[in-house]
Order: sequence, then C-alpha cells, then structure tokens
Amino acid sequence: MKRVIIIGGGVAGMQTALHLRTQGIEPLIIEKEAELGGKLRGWHVLFPSFTPADEILTALRSRIKQQNIGVRTSTEVKSFTSRSVTLSTGETLACDSVVMSTGFTLFDARLKEEYGYGIYDNVYTSVDIERMLNEGKVAMKDGSRPKRIAFLHCVGSRDEKVGQHHCSKVCCITGVKQAMEMKKLFPDADVFNFYMDIRMFGPGYEEMYREAQIKYNIHFVRGRISEAGETFEGRIQIKAEDTLTGRPLRMSVDMLVLLVGMRANDDNASLAAGAHLLQSPSGFMQPRDLFLNNMKSNTEGIFYAGAVTSPKNIGETLNEACTAADAVANYLSE
Amino acid sequence: MFVVIAWKWGSWLYRLPHSDKRLIADGIFTGKTFAAVWEAFRECLVHRRIYKVNPLLGYMHMSLAFGWFLLIAVGWAETIAYLGLRFVPLQGHVFFKYFAVGLEHKPVFAFLMDLFLCMVLSGVALAWGKRMYSKAMGMRKTTHHVMGDRIALSALWFVFPARFVAESITSGLYGGGSFLTGSTGDLLRAHLSQTTLMQLETSAWWFYSIVLGVFFVGLPFSRYMHIFTEVPLIFLRRYGLRSGEKESTFDKFQTEACSRCGICIDPCQLQSVLGINTVQSVYYLRDRRYKMLRLATADNCLMCGRCTERCPVGIDLNTLRVNSRDVMRNLPSERRYKYFKGLDRSTGDGKVGYFAGCMTLLTPRVLKAMERIFTASGEEVWWADKSGGVCCGRPLKLAGETDAAHKMMEYNTELFRKHGITTLVTSCPICLKVFREDYRLEGIEVLHHSEYILRLIDEGRLKVNKVDETFTYHDPCELGRGSGIYDEPRRVIEAIGTLLEPRQTREHALCCGSSVANLAISDEQQVKLARNMASELEATGADVIVTTCPLCKKAVGRGTEKEVKDLSEIVAGHLM
Repeated sequence: MKRVIIIGGGVAGMQTALHLRTQGIEPLIIEKEAELGGKLRGWHVLFPSFTPADEILTALRSRIKQQNIGVRTSTEVKSFTSRSVTLSTGETLACDSVVMSTGFTLFDARLKEEYGYGIYDNVYTSVDIERMLNEGKVAMKDGSRPKRIAFLHCVGSRDEKVGQHHCSKVCCITGVKQAMEMKKLFPDADVFNFYMDIRMFGPGYEEMYREAQIKYNIHFVRGRISEAGETFEGRIQIKAEDTLTGRPLRMSVDMLVLLVGMRANDDNASLAAGAHLLQSPSGFMQPRDLFLNNMKSNTEGIFYAGAVTSPKNIGETLNEACTAADAVANYLSE
Repeated sequence: MFVVIAWKWGSWLYRLPHSDKRLIADGIFTGKTFAAVWEAFRECLVHRRIYKVNPLLGYMHMSLAFGWFLLIAVGWAETIAYLGLRFVPLQGHVFFKYFAVGLEHKPVFAFLMDLFLCMVLSGVALAWGKRMYSKAMGMRKTTHHVMGDRIALSALWFVFPARFVAESITSGLYGGGSFLTGSTGDLLRAHLSQTTLMQLETSAWWFYSIVLGVFFVGLPFSRYMHIFTEVPLIFLRRYGLRSGEKESTFDKFQTEACSRCGICIDPCQLQSVLGINTVQSVYYLRDRRYKMLRLATADNCLMCGRCTERCPVGIDLNTLRVNSRDVMRNLPSERRYKYFKGLDRSTGDGKVGYFAGCMTLLTPRVLKAMERIFTASGEEVWWADKSGGVCCGRPLKLAGETDAAHKMMEYNTELFRKHGITTLVTSCPICLKVFREDYRLEGIEVLHHSEYILRLIDEGRLKVNKVDETFTYHDPCELGRGSGIYDEPRRVIEAIGTLLEPRQTREHALCCGSSVANLAISDEQQVKLARNMASELEATGADVIVTTCPLCKKAVGRGTEKEVKDLSEIVAGHLM
C-alpha cells in the first residue's frame, strides 16, 4: 500500500487523510500539537450558520478513528522531501508523497502597538472572544458587562505598515458574527464595526450582514481606527475617521475587539527551503498555478491543502482537501 | 573666468537678505576672518576632512589643490625674481618657461617647481587610478558625471602631464629644469634631433595652452567652480550665515561649493541597501544648480544626515533639501487649520510639561512607561497631548510645507505659554529638534526624555536596579546627528545593564529607514532598510534593542524578531 504523510492535522489534514483512505492509500498525519483540530479548536461557532465548531471537529476526529488512520501528535517536522519526512527528533519516515497542510499563523496584534493590545485591559482579539465564548464568560476585565463595544477590521490584513498586503478573507464575516453574538449577550450594548471595506463573499454572508444591521442594530462605520488610548476611568478611547461623512471621530468604548488576520505560517520558510518549494510574496506557499494545479506544489509529489497557500474559510478548506487527495491518488497511480 | 566668478559672487552677495549682510558687516573685522583664513587653508588646500575619510583620497585632493597652488605661488615668485620687482599678474608664469629661455637658470626655483609638479602629477596619477579602482581609496561608488564635467575633468587630467612634457622639451632644448623636467629633457636630447625637439616643443606648448584654456573657460560652469566658491563659503559661514527653510542666495555659495567628489554616495543607505543611484546629495545639488531638479529627487532622502557628517565641504545638505521642497510644495491653506480652535485637551497642572508627540501616542508602551517614571520621581506633570493634540510641525516642515508647519508651531507655543510650564519634556526626537530649532521657547527648558531621565537618576529622584541584561542602542538620526545627544541614553542604559555597541554607531549610526523626511520610498523599501540596519544591532548579541525614538522603535521592530524597546520602557521596568 502507498504511504502518504500529511503534515498538519487541522481540518485540511484530517479531510485529506479521510479521502486518501477511501482511495486505498495509507495516510499518516503528523501534528505538532497534542491533539488534532488545528486552529478550529479555539473557535466557538462558525459563520454564517452558527454551527458549533465542535460539531465539525468531533465528526472529523471520529471518522479518523473509525478508519484507523495513523496519527502522530506532539510531533514536529524539521524538513521533508517528496519521499521522506524528517522529524525534529531526527527520526526519518519514508513515504511516497507528502501533503503540506500546515495552515497559517495568526497575526500578532501587539505589532500594532497603537491599538494597545497587551497594554490596556479591555483590548481583545477575535481569538480571545471565541475563547471567552467557549468558556461561557464574556465580560470586561473587572467582570462587568460592556455597554459599548467596538470591532476593528483588518488588523494585520491589507496593511502595508506591517508587511501584510493580502486580505485575510474571513475576518469581515467573523466581525459580523461576533458582533451579533455580543448583541445577543448584551442586548443593551452599542456595538460598532470599523471597517475599510466589507467583503461578504460567501453564501449567506451578505444576508447575515444585512441582518446584523436591521435586526441587531449593529453600527458599521467606514474608517480604520488610527489609535486607541486609555481614559481616566479605564475605558478605551478610540480615534477614527468616518470616511463616509469625512469627519474625524472620537469615542470611548468598554471593549475593543481586534479582528486579527491570517498571515503565512512562520514555519513556511524553513520547510520550503528543505523541499525547494516556492513561496508567494506574502509568504504563503505558492501552488503551481491558481487553476487546474492549485493544490500541487512546484515539486513533484508534494501537495498543498487548506490555508497553507492562502486564507480560506472552513468550507473551502474541506473542499480543497478532497481535491488534494485526488491529486495525490492520481500521482501515485501514474 | 574671473569675470564670470566675480559676477556670480557679486550678484549672490548683493541679493542676500539684509540680516545676512548685517552679519557679514559685523563679522568681517573680527577674529572670525582669521579663523576663516585658517579654515580655508586647511580645507581648500590641505583637505583635512577628506584625509579623515581616507588618507590616500585626502592626499590625492591635497596634491592637486595645494600642489597647484604652490606651483602658481612659487612660479609667480620665480617670475618676479627674474623680472625684478614690478607688476606681474598671477598668471604671468604660465608660459614663462617658454618665453624666458634665454635667462640664466635659478636652480632653487627650478627644483621647487619640479617638486611641486611632481606632487601634482602624483595626484593626477591617483585620480586616474581612482577612476579605475575607487575601492583603494575607500570609495565603493563614485559620482556619475554630466558631459560638461567630463570635458573639464579630461582637460584637468591633461593640464599637468602636458605641462610636464612641454617644460621637459624646453629644458632639453635650452637647459634649465631640475630633477624632473631637467633629467627628462636630457633624456629627450640624447635620443631626438634638435629639429624634432623644436617641432615637438611648439605642439606641446600649444597642447598645454589649449587644455589649460578649456579648463579655465569650463571652470565656472562645471564642478570646478568649487575651487573658488568654497573660500567665500567658509568666510560667510564663519560670519554666521546659514541656509534656512526658505531659499536665499547664500544657498548658491553652498550648491556651487560642491565639488561632486561623491563622498556622500557611500554612506547613503538608499544607495547601499536599495540600489537607488540618482538622488544622493551630489546629484541633488547638481540638479539644483543646473535648474533641472525634480520633486521626485528632492523628496527621496531620509535626511538621516549620514552624508552631511562626511561632506568635506560641510554643506548643510538637509536644510538645502528642505528649502527646495518648500519652493516646490509649500501651498498654505488657511482653511485647513481651523480645527485648532478649542482643541486644548491638555490635563494636569505641573510646571513640567510632557509632549508625547504623534508617534509616542502610536506607541502607548512608551507613554505608559513615562507615566510610571513621572509618578516614581514624584514629578507633577502637565500632559500636553495625551488625549490628542496638534503635531509639532516638523514632518510638514521637512515635507516643504513650511507655512503650514509654522501654524502648528505657533499654536503649540501659545499652548505651552498658556499653561506656564518651565520645562518641556518630549519622548520624540523629531519634536525635540523642532522645539529647539524653530520654536521660540525662551524661558522654557526643552529636554528629550533621555536627558530628563538621566537628570532624575543623577539627582537621586529615580532609582533603578542594575541587572544582568545586555542592551544594544540605536541612535535615532534626529537625536544623535540631529541634536548631538549621544551620551545621555547610553549613561541611562549603563545604569541598568550592559551596553553593547553595534558596528556603526553614534555619528555613524544607520537610519531606521522609516524617516518622516522621505516622501518617496515604499513601505517595502522601508522594511528592507530596517532589516539591514537591524542586522547590525542583532549582531551585537544583546538581549534587547533599545532606542529613544518612537518612530525608530516601530521601524526597527519591523526589521527584527528581537525585542525592541524605548529607553523609558527599560527604565520603567527596572525601577527600584
């Protein structure tokens, strides 16, 4: 039986493994964390249907188990070629092909020091909000209920200043989703979204955006926040420009949520070097083309699945994993 | 030639503003004149500042300038010695050797003249060598010259070899000359017939006079105008004349004093890191002088001051660039600044004012650290702009929008006066420089936070723990080269941990690349500059990179994975 090593056991890695198995191939997933699931583990519910992330994770994990697919967790890959994978322990695993599904790295909000993440108490990232929702306690640092919440879009996306030119795609809809969740938790609170553009590309997204405005009375202000400061009462004071009215704006809020973007995985460069793979200028891995070979790397026998090549939502990632599995199967049967 | 030069100088001097003329009148009969004479000797003839760049390069310039000067001076003396005490024009010696063949020889003069000719010739040889391999003289890149300069340069290169050949032939025919021309003359006589020599003599002297003529005619219009212009520049500078944010004819003395030596090219990071080859000071001054300056060239400069630091003529390059931008961009708009009204959001009522500046507000860790430092030292503070304020004006000034900048300066000055502060502390070197140089803040002491923190430590009002940590320090351009503050931040760092210096430091420190003065390069290019300069800081192996400018902090942070902190942050983190 042919053996394929899948680097990264997130949604993309698990789905690839499952589809390889149905085609009679033996997959082995290598995951550096202690359990499978990747970034989705930290998520609460998914847009636009409010499907619990756990539902998807549980289904994928149980299928992996049922199919008896090999998984090595808490294992890190140091380098690889299309025929072998070397672990950080020095152990080398032979294989017939490799799928790289290592995903992305979250943008570190502290790099935008002007927004005060890690400096002021009530500045959070979208990831913190998901975690708080999962833990079931969303509140300000002192435990009280927020009366005014601001979401800031495009933190670490479409921002030349931090070298991230690309759009992270999913933050717009995440902002809408989280704003609605906040409004559900705190119906009396004013919720604002500060944005440059609202990009509602997926099915049901635009409808959700309308619903947020009409049903939830969430305010959308076109303009980036330039800086955040702290008031004497410990609230967050934000400065922005409402570019639709052309006026500068100042506002005190109880919570500021930064919708952090996806940046290329920090490990891409070192992994790419060993396997002679190309990276696009954004740092994401560069597929052979963007159409018929968008899951193949520039090296024969090495394939990509999921957000390792560009920001994607969960649905797209699951689809791409199937395509990648097909491509691997084709390659191995040649 | 002299008519053109006199006309140029005369009109520039005549059109100087009244206050500058006053400065000249006040300075001319003082010791400043003697100091200027001495400086002119040192710099125009000996070229001391070029020696500092590279000894061989210094010798090349000195041998050409001082050697030629001695040739003219001693030649003139020789002519007088022959003709007796009577009026002899300075150029009287040029063809003296050709016409004065029948006179008895004076070996001392002949020896001296040969010695100086030998000196100049060695300089010419070095100049040829430099064209082929400039690295030997410490120059990675040399100037790319325009056509006029090339012609004048070629003429200059031939003047002395031609003179050497001509004088040698004459000496071969009629005797005279010393170890150089004399012995070459003997050699020629031994091998060539009398008639050949006579024919050669005529053509050699003709060739010599033609190249000399070409050179002198081209001089006032080419780079060689610097030979004469640097002298009045030195005098005027000694009298206190300076370029300002508006153009004046004093600027002409500066632009035409540029010899286009190209020493400014190597220190330019736009050249060494980004490969931009057309915007350096030498090209900027050239374009400005020949009235072909484009805004794109004037805008593309970090104004880091690294070239000014090395300029052998001491031209005030940054100020000239600012006033070029002023000419091309200054369009004051009255309406734009109406928002100043009712903008005072300052808080507190201490006698010590703190002006964070825009960039500190964008790096709130610095602001937080300053709060802790003020609290720890028990200082009562007036916060000028913690909840927002008006920009210090320097970014606009550097962009050439000088009138708009002055509106901001006036607003802030009034604000400071209104709240009656006696000390003004700022964390931003950009603000510091404009407060010190352009604001009229008599009675208010302006301090950068590094100076202020050091004072608190020295006075015992602030106590810090000494720890086993290593730091490296990045000199911000505006603080170091711009304001001469090098030691204060270093002393503060040394009170906390060990300081490791990068390879290029203090006045040679690299720019972070994100300077507000550059209006042309892209973010990516800025990041490239940051990576390049950060690698020198990383190479020290220090735990933390420290700087004293919020803009540098952000910029360096883009170029390294290492921790980058402001001085105030490490002080606040190590308070006793």
